[in-house]
Amino acid sequence: MNLRRRKNERQSVSERANTTHTRNYPSDFRSTATCGRSKKSASDAVQQKIVDFISTATSSPDEPKFAIPAGLIVAGPSIASHGPFFQRLGQNIKDETNSAYVVLTSGESPNLKTLLKNLIKKVTSHVEDDDDDDLDRPASSRHGPKLLNYDLGHVQEWRKKNRVASIVIAFQDSEAFDAGLLADIVDLFNSWLDRLPFVLLFGIATSAESFEDRLAGRSLRYLEGEKFDVTQSDDIIEKIFSATVASTASRLHVGPNLCRRMLDRQKDHVQNVQDFCDGLKYAYMSHFYASYPTIFLRNGLAFEDLPAEAFEAARNLPSFRRLVEDKLEDGRPGNVRQLLESDQHLFQQITKSMETGQHALSTLSHAAQVLFSIRASLQISPSIRLSSMWTRAAAGDMVGSPILRETMLSIKKISSDKFVDLLAALSSLHGDFFNMDLDTLQQELNSLIEKNDTSAPLRTQHDVRNDSLRTTVVAQKVLLSKHKAALSEQDRAYSDLVGRFHDQLEEYFESAFIDPQSIFLSEVLIYDLKSPHTEVFQPKPRFAIERALATPHDYLGCDCCSGVDGNEAALAATQPATAIVYQMYVESGALINVSDLWSAFNAIAGDGEEDNEPKTMALFQRALAELKYIGLVKPSRKKTDHVSKIMWKGL
Amino acid sequence: MLPDEIIAQLISEFQCRDQHIQYLAALYTAHLPSPSFLNVHGLTATGKSSILRSYFHLSGIPHAMINVRECVTARHLLERVVASSLDALDEHHDEKIDRRPYARTENLSALCVNLAKLLEGRGKFVLVLDAVDKLREAGGTLIAALGRLGESIPNLSLILTTTLPLPPSSLHHPSTPTLSFPPYTRPQLLAILTHNPPKTFLTAPSAEDSPDYTPDLAAEDDAWLWSRFISAVFDSLSKHTGRDLLSFRSCCMKLWRPFVEPVMSGQFGTRDFSRLIINRRHLFQLEDSVLDRIINTGETPTTNPLEPSTPSKKRIARTPAHALPFYTTHLLIAAYLASYNPSRTDITYFMKHTDKRKNRRRTTNTVANATKARKISRHLLTPSPFPLDRLLAIFRALLDGSVPQVADVYTQIATLTSLRLLVRAGAGSNDALEGGGRWRVGFGWEYVRALGRSVNLEVGEYLVGGVD
Ligand SMILES: Nc1ncnc2c1ncn2[C@@H]1O[C@H](COP(=O)(O)OP(=O)(O)OP(=O)(O)O)[C@@H](O)[C@H]1O
Ligand SMILES: [Mg+2]
Repeated sequence: MNLRRRKNERQSVSERANTTHTRNYPSDFRSTATCGRSKKSASDAVQQKIVDFISTATSSPDEPKFAIPAGLIVAGPSIASHGPFFQRLGQNIKDETNSAYVVLTSGESPNLKTLLKNLIKKVTSHVEDDDDDDLDRPASSRHGPKLLNYDLGHVQEWRKKNRVASIVIAFQDSEAFDAGLLADIVDLFNSWLDRLPFVLLFGIATSAESFEDRLAGRSLRYLEGEKFDVTQSDDIIEKIFSATVASTASRLHVGPNLCRRMLDRQKDHVQNVQDFCDGLKYAYMSHFYASYPTIFLRNGLAFEDLPAEAFEAARNLPSFRRLVEDKLEDGRPGNVRQLLESDQHLFQQITKSMETGQHALSTLSHAAQVLFSIRASLQISPSIRLSSMWTRAAAGDMVGSPILRETMLSIKKISSDKFVDLLAALSSLHGDFFNMDLDTLQQELNSLIEKNDTSAPLRTQHDVRNDSLRTTVVAQKVLLSKHKAALSEQDRAYSDLVGRFHDQLEEYFESAFIDPQSIFLSEVLIYDLKSPHTEVFQPKPRFAIERALATPHDYLGCDCCSGVDGNEAALAATQPATAIVYQMYVESGALINVSDLWSAFNAIAGDGEEDNEPKTMALFQRALAELKYIGLVKPSRKKTDHVSKIMWKGL
Repeated sequence: MLPDEIIAQLISEFQCRDQHIQYLAALYTAHLPSPSFLNVHGLTATGKSSILRSYFHLSGIPHAMINVRECVTARHLLERVVASSLDALDEHHDEKIDRRPYARTENLSALCVNLAKLLEGRGKFVLVLDAVDKLREAGGTLIAALGRLGESIPNLSLILTTTLPLPPSSLHHPSTPTLSFPPYTRPQLLAILTHNPPKTFLTAPSAEDSPDYTPDLAAEDDAWLWSRFISAVFDSLSKHTGRDLLSFRSCCMKLWRPFVEPVMSGQFGTRDFSRLIINRRHLFQLEDSVLDRIINTGETPTTNPLEPSTPSKKRIARTPAHALPFYTTHLLIAAYLASYNPSRTDITYFMKHTDKRKNRRRTTNTVANATKARKISRHLLTPSPFPLDRLLAIFRALLDGSVPQVADVYTQIATLTSLRLLVRAGAGSNDALEGGGRWRVGFGWEYVRALGRSVNLEVGEYLVGGVD
């Protein structure tokens, strides 16, 4: 329930974000929508398999079954994405089979009774969505003995009216269910199996074997089914990445630093597709909300629509300053003056630069894609993911990088059979952002291959197989010398062709892999701020508390606490009492003598007068209580007058 | 149906239970008085439920049979007793009893009142509570009170079936009639299973190929082969693993298809039992067929039929199916080490400045030592609980470089808890990360070793005492 509410909230936030910008920036809306779509398509095959499993399991309803059909869905450790997965699965199952579908989570099923109540509620309320006139209760409940609200008889009665072929029950997070509860449920469902056609689905995060280990042999005997492996989340992320960030259609580009951060977080911490999408949406949102000049990203903008502040903002961009400096160096001060003084002029410049900038960035994305598919087609190892290749390209350090050099070298050595495949792979990428003349190459290659009368593929002069090693014995030493074998006529022609292809490709990459930061308006076209992202997605609660207590001065900013004699770490009476006690706490061991702590505290915070001691004591007690409240200390039973330390700084 | 006919039909349906069927027929007839209470007991799959159901169904005595396994609470049972008695009487007398007085049956006395009201002025009524010992949340006195129902309602006959006989103490009654269904013996099991043998050929050989192989002849061959096959299965596998009818039957069914494969392919004749069993001996040596599994791999070892494979001891590697994120993996390894290493050794193993390798494996593995104090290897013991900060400290010690103190680490701990890879020791609050809690790992040595290898870390080197 809670989860659903949170999801709705999140959805509405993103919807809000989308609707505010849909009108203005359709393409970015599109790319966030692609997030969902490519996520969907990635797991569609598995979903289809599960649906098929359910329809075959229920194809012969009258035949007596001895075991409950069960699908073990190994959905991976990112449990946050199980919810959406099972929701979509439910939709597919309801669309394609005649079944009732219920998802149960461990949170709402602490025991058998509650689980059954929930189950019955969910199964039987399915009707009310469909037809409302079905509301009157069965006669027996009004007059005779009522069924208890956890009696599966309710479901049976419901099924008399709704002839569903199966009742699919999905245990979304099966690991979190109590093993005894699962055994009870399996036992119960099995004894009802002659009346209610159950099909069970178990969402599993670890592995199917460990799930089987948790159930007793008796429960296992009552289950019979198949295992389904859901696509690994990094594959899905890769798809989403190429559909959103690395897509040539997006108008707003996410920068390399942010991308790297988001991808690293996936690899190191969460592995959660949902989270990745949220990160992207948040990036788009913060860009448009926080930066005024982003208004220029709007399509079909007219000069009259824009307030003067927009131009003022644009003039303050670092890249504008760079542009001005460049122009001055070129010796065009008149032009600079116009840009500074006339909004109209600036507008024209911006419109023009916007277009060229977009094109350059899209070409860069596309070139990364081209490089990726070349590597894939030549099967160069190690295989590098598109996302990391793109991130490198977007950071501007692709030109001259080892990946590029290595790829170009293997192109030089390509043999004709592989070349055919490569051209086929590249022709699908041919377009506005990659307009090499592939057709001529293809034709020439075809004619060369036709002329080739041997069965072996054509080779270039760089191919090692064209080298032969010759050993000569000179003065009792063996000399190895490499010799180029004589190239045949055809091979020479082929080498020539490959050489041309190589040169053209090199030229293309050189022109495509620019440094994106260098283009005018890159601040508008690219969003690459990391701090909003880290603050929202990777907060540091414990670090913040520890730091505030250890160096209160950083937060208070007052003169009195800045330390004794310039030593910032020193304790001072003016610091908050809790901070003083905390710093003493940090220095002590696992068991802390409270009386020692008090005398140390009194030495710092007290003024040595007997009369003021109760006041200091009150401060001390409050400080200690606060530490206990935060969860840093707890009373210890090991020693009298001692408290034990639970948290160490920096963990 | 006449009593004799019923008996004859039941005996033909259930072998080796003639005596029990006779008893039932003697005790429960339409016109003679019946005992008010009977305890039917026997181990699983001894035919208690099926014989009782078939008998009362055929006998035409008004009865209700309730599968107590389906009842979640005692109250649930009571409600169902009344509801199904009403249904049974409605059906038997073909009338519609006014149900309004029976709307609620909260407790035993209400049951008593309701049943008395219901059965007043009617003939005999038999109530069977099947598997009454399997009732969840049963109170201590429920069975005793049920046993006495017959005293206040003279025309009610109650039958309780249980796995073990109900002790007189639980019934508060010195002597109660019981009927015992003993487990089947070997000849009995074989006799029951031979009754309907499965077919050797799924599709009968076509009439042109073998014109003189009639269906009768095929059935005779099937029976001949099957009877020999099941006794072989019993002696080699079921005798030691599952002697009850159901596991024996499922084991035979699992093995039958692979067993007759050479016959189907025409390699052996239908009566070549001795050569067949030698050829297929691996089936009787592997444990696969007696293990219960959800996923039916269905893989019969596709070996050359001429070359029977030797039993292979291959085990499915317990590796995680999905790769876990980098830090999550280290958290799990740290948790394992925190559970299995005593905390006083942490300094030796995880202090950054000492040479780790020097301090490891301090146990002296001399033979004399080993025999003197035979210690159980640590990883075979149960994990001991540890506080959260110790886990975090080991986690940081395992990693080179610093890990930022981001909330993601705590999210992961909470996630791992809901996956039961980390378990909160003791009854804690609902908050997984509340301070002061203690934790334990929920996985074993093999899993952690695979995890460690996935990040190039040999966990055994950090484990006190090492692993052999
Ligand atoms: N003598 C028999 N002949 C044929 N089939 C039998 C015989 N005894 C038991 N069976 C079969 O064994 C299966 C299990 O029997 P049943 O459910 O009656 O056992 P049970 O004693 O009630 O077991 P439990 O104590 O587990 O409830 C049924 O399918 C039944 O048909
Ligand atoms: Mg039974």
